[in-house]
Amino acid sequence: MSVRAMPTATHLVEVRLRPEFVDAEGASALSLLMAQGMPSLKEARVSRLYEIKGPITANQVLQAAKDLLCDPVTQEHRVVAPTAPPLNGMNFWRVEVWLKPTVSDPVGETVRDAIADMGLPRPDSVRCALVYRLAGRTSKPQLERAVARTLANPLIQRALVTEAHP
Amino acid sequence: MNASESRSAALAVLGKSAKELRALGDSRHLSLNDAEWAAIQAHFKAAKREPTLAEVETIAQTWSEHCKHKTFTSPIRLTEGKKTRTIKNLFQETIVAATAAVKKPWCLSVFDDNAGVVAFGKKWALAFKAETHNHPSALEPYGGAETGVGGVIRDVLGCGLGAKPVLNTDVFCFGRPDYDGALPEGAHHPKRTLRGVVAGVRDYGNRMGIPTAAGGIWFDDDYRLNPLVFCGTVGLLPQWAVKKEVKPGDLIVAAGGRTGRDGLHGATFSSANLGADAPSSAVQIGHAIAEKRVLDALLRARERKLYRSVTDCGAGGFSSAVGELGAKCGARVRLEAAPLKVSDLTGWEIWLSESQERMVFAVPPKNLKALEVVFAAEGCETAVIGEFTSTGRLHVTHGAETVVELDMKFLHKGLPRVERQATWAGTPSAKPSGGTDKKLAQALRECVGHLNVCSREWVIRQYDHEVQGGTVIKPLQGVRHDGPGDACVIWPQAATGDPTDFAGFSVSHGLNPDYGRLDPYWMALACVDEALRNLTCVGADPSRAALLDNFCWASPEDPKQLGALVRAAEGCYDAGVGYKAPFISGKDSLYNQSKDEKGRELPIPGTLLISALAPLADVRKAVTMDFKGPGNALYLIGRTNDELGGSLYHRVLGRTGGEVPKANPACALDGFKSLHAAILKGVVLSAHDLSDGGLAVAAAEMGFSGEFGCVLDLDEAARDPRIYSNETLLFSESPSRILVEVKPESEGAFLRHFGKGAKSSAVRRIGQTTANPILKVVGLDGSTIMEEPLRELKEAWQKTLPAAFA
Repeated sequence: MSVRAMPTATHLVEVRLRPEFVDAEGASALSLLMAQGMPSLKEARVSRLYEIKGPITANQVLQAAKDLLCDPVTQEHRVVAPTAPPLNGMNFWRVEVWLKPTVSDPVGETVRDAIADMGLPRPDSVRCALVYRLAGRTSKPQLERAVARTLANPLIQRALVTEAHP
Repeated sequence: MNASESRSAALAVLGKSAKELRALGDSRHLSLNDAEWAAIQAHFKAAKREPTLAEVETIAQTWSEHCKHKTFTSPIRLTEGKKTRTIKNLFQETIVAATAAVKKPWCLSVFDDNAGVVAFGKKWALAFKAETHNHPSALEPYGGAETGVGGVIRDVLGCGLGAKPVLNTDVFCFGRPDYDGALPEGAHHPKRTLRGVVAGVRDYGNRMGIPTAAGGIWFDDDYRLNPLVFCGTVGLLPQWAVKKEVKPGDLIVAAGGRTGRDGLHGATFSSANLGADAPSSAVQIGHAIAEKRVLDALLRARERKLYRSVTDCGAGGFSSAVGELGAKCGARVRLEAAPLKVSDLTGWEIWLSESQERMVFAVPPKNLKALEVVFAAEGCETAVIGEFTSTGRLHVTHGAETVVELDMKFLHKGLPRVERQATWAGTPSAKPSGGTDKKLAQALRECVGHLNVCSREWVIRQYDHEVQGGTVIKPLQGVRHDGPGDACVIWPQAATGDPTDFAGFSVSHGLNPDYGRLDPYWMALACVDEALRNLTCVGADPSRAALLDNFCWASPEDPKQLGALVRAAEGCYDAGVGYKAPFISGKDSLYNQSKDEKGRELPIPGTLLISALAPLADVRKAVTMDFKGPGNALYLIGRTNDELGGSLYHRVLGRTGGEVPKANPACALDGFKSLHAAILKGVVLSAHDLSDGGLAVAAAEMGFSGEFGCVLDLDEAARDPRIYSNETLLFSESPSRILVEVKPESEGAFLRHFGKGAKSSAVRRIGQTTANPILKVVGLDGSTIMEEPLRELKEAWQKTLPAAFA
């Protein structure tokens, strides 16, 4: 029997609330941002992003996303490309909040153990991020400033603000 | 050191000047002062070698304010007016001396373990500890508060042979959430700090399945840069598990989380002023589930007596945990055996990392296999990282490299004591001045709606206070479960496993920095008094109360601040002796000051938190604070004096000065004990303590929680005969007073507990409850001075906090 080493890959899985459900977490984020002098923001919805690294295939990641990371009644999941294509804005924004690499990520650690408990290959690392999709008129610097004051603490977190599709 | 071993990279300190050493310390966040550097130089000069980096780091951690409480244990030269005296060891002469003076046989372990331990019945004991996590919470509110809770839970897990946590407490001091002034770069707005801290306490406590049921919040703008976050935990353990000992030959076993680069320099960081350049590694995100696994495995291993001693990895990580356990014998540590999060850690980083959720055990070699099985069953990693020795030395290696080779005696006793200067200028003028008078009704409305009084439901509802199923008296009380309780009562039946034993305990707090601004001595007495009367109100035994002291102060290098701290500590001594209540544990957090937006130092007001714990023989006799029905007699226990200094009423009017409330422990304790006896007899329907806002606020709270009104006749109150003002009687904050509701037919039985003559003079019937939900007050001249609908008062009381966060 030949033992073949599984190649190490990086997968990104996004899990979000189905659009028909009220997003309380998003509403709370919206009110925080609006209080920072951004009254023109209209909507915020929150999803979770998992970066799974290790000897695990795309199909296995999909299985973990479906059976472990996602509540099939209220949530939907998709595997996203590691590098998002550049997008034309039209007042839609995407904010990703990651813990800095020096800060331990308990959610990620638990997901890593849980994937192994499913009988899938144990990932080398799993990191978890929150993604906020915002709708409304603002500028990137203004949004970055507001995010640093509300949704992300620059000391331990890294926030990526990009323009996005609706 | 063997010939085959090499020593890890040295840190050149020999022959360097004080200035050079200071610069070296600053660049590595070591927080060592000149005298300490000199002691290190002398020690290594005698050893004829340079220290390694890890050695200097280990010494800095062990000698830090966080671990050794230098200020409290070093000599202080106190100047009071023209008199000067020297205090050799403030901690020994005040806190420890008070406990020694009251000599309570039910104190099973005080000051030397991770938590204080008192007996709870014949079989059980309660461990209680409160800690602060101020600096991390200022930088990262969520993670800081979370790891604060995690840390104090581990303290209780590492107390004796381990206690099962049955209650978490939380007390916060923040800037006002509606603060609209400028803030320096990098500082969080108080609103954000509050949100984050509450979320952190919530997530960690709830996930571990520990009820968070006692606490408080104090708002003052001087906390805006240095919020205070006090986390406490009560644990239950069998009395046989209180004692622990380490024997040479025992293995050093690390269990729980892996070691990473996170949290380096937490302890030394607490000994420095907070600035913009704080290292990000000082803050972490907690992992509650990992700690829950450690908890479950530890309790199982304890039942099987698989280990001889245990402690938690707190500030300083392995260096302080192993140093503490091996202080009396010696230890040999091999760091390469420690499980790591990342593989590229150097020896000193493993040795000093403050990664969370780790515990260190002393395990007899024959039990190792069994211990490993128990921990593996919970999915919890263990590793043997060395053994305890009888050499009296700390020898740490990483592979072939010697990282630390230190004499335990130098490490633990070598700290040079530096005499500090303190001054106390006396209590400021007592004459009240400034402010504008307000109508009584308006003042009362503003008092109940004030941030320091208003409903905390917004915070309390986020905590799980019901888990473990033993919260008998809950933080919110009354017919609609939304009134402000004095204290919680916990029946730990889930932990004892005996539902036929109705013994429980109660925990309460006392805190009032506004009194401390006038005189920290009287603040200390008032805090102890408040904590004890809260306990008494719910039916706990005030003569069995044990206290924790938590001091949070600005820089002790400022003689005025240190003078105030000494005053507060001396107040603690007099309070402990006066109320016959021992201190069983405590902690201090100093250097709580930062530069504000204009570059001026902003110190916090000197803050003392007293947490009190007392048992109830039968939780079914506990009493809540809401009025239970109409036509019942209202008794006021305690005498009212003209003591409006530092009061809420003065704050609402904008007035300064006035007499600070002065407690008389002997009289107060008499009243508390009598009330306790009456509660045990079942003749008390409700009881509520008079604190911020005095009689007026207490009566309003009892009324709107029970939805019955009351009539109060101020002329009936026991009082200083020189008081001629209704305002003073309504709003004075004289300590030791409790408002009690008694059924008309049991008034005789109630009064019998207060004896005859002078002793009974402080208990007066001052009114009765009514069906109409209105607070009616008859003034000294016999006319009605106030008639306020309770519904409106409740609205004012409830809307403040939600409005601040809308």
